[in-house]
Amino acid sequence: MRVLEPWVAEPLAEFLRESSARLTLVMTSAGQVIAQHGFTRSVDVMSAAALGAGILATTDELARTIDEPAGFGAVVHQGERQGVWLSAFDTPRGRWIGLVVFGQESSIGLVRLFFARLAAQIQAAAPPLAPVRDVLAEGFERELDNSLRSLFGSR
Amino acid sequence: MTIDQWHAALREVTGVTGVLGALIVSAEDGLVVAETAMEELATADVAALAAALVMRVARCTSAMDAGLPQTAYLVGDRGALLAVAGPAPLWLVAVARNDGELGRLRLLMRDFADVLR
Repeated sequence: MRVLEPWVAEPLAEFLRESSARLTLVMTSAGQVIAQHGFTRSVDVMSAAALGAGILATTDELARTIDEPAGFGAVVHQGERQGVWLSAFDTPRGRWIGLVVFGQESSIGLVRLFFARLAAQIQAAAPPLAPVRDVLAEGFERELDNSLRSLFGSR
Repeated sequence: MTIDQWHAALREVTGVTGVLGALIVSAEDGLVVAETAMEELATADVAALAAALVMRVARCTSAMDAGLPQTAYLVGDRGALLAVAGPAPLWLVAVARNDGELGRLRLLMRDFADVLR
């Protein structure tokens, strides 16, 4: 498990333990990864984050089209051996998305149950948002490197 | 059995003294297929956990070479959960208080599971 925000680690570890999820991504609605578990290649994380955020954006638009103002709580794709759970939740840091891949050792019901707890725990644990700093060109690359190191270890 | 008959059966189970709710659960995905329950019972949570329980029981009986499980009976300090296998992957699940008519509940659920099959 790799996390960009340390306060996400404990709720995520509990979620992984209880749900038996194989892969998990927590990201912003723009697709920026906050935490990941199970992915070994950064390119896979980036693809999954972009695709997951895209799917949820699409379903949000579909909800608006069919006049479902609250939107859809979750999107589930069930395959033969694995399923994917996608769901957004509000945090003090904005709208975040969880993408969970689960196998036959888990179920949609278990992921739904423990994902709701994960979202509630993240909402409760989120510290107040720090003031936005200007990102200077010389600091941008360093910050990006730090973020990637946090998510994937040493490069 | 039709959905209406399922609901009638679930209502009868819920009518047993001490029963808080009865559900038909898909063990494969842990979701509620049909339910009749009191408001305070978190049926979706019960379905997810009951499905996880019966799937583990199935692994256990398989390892024992005892075939597929037919019932799972779990008793806590204050309540009990009774699960009876229906047509795969469905299970009939009831949650009851400990002071309820658990014997009658068991018999009734076994009858319904036979009809469901």
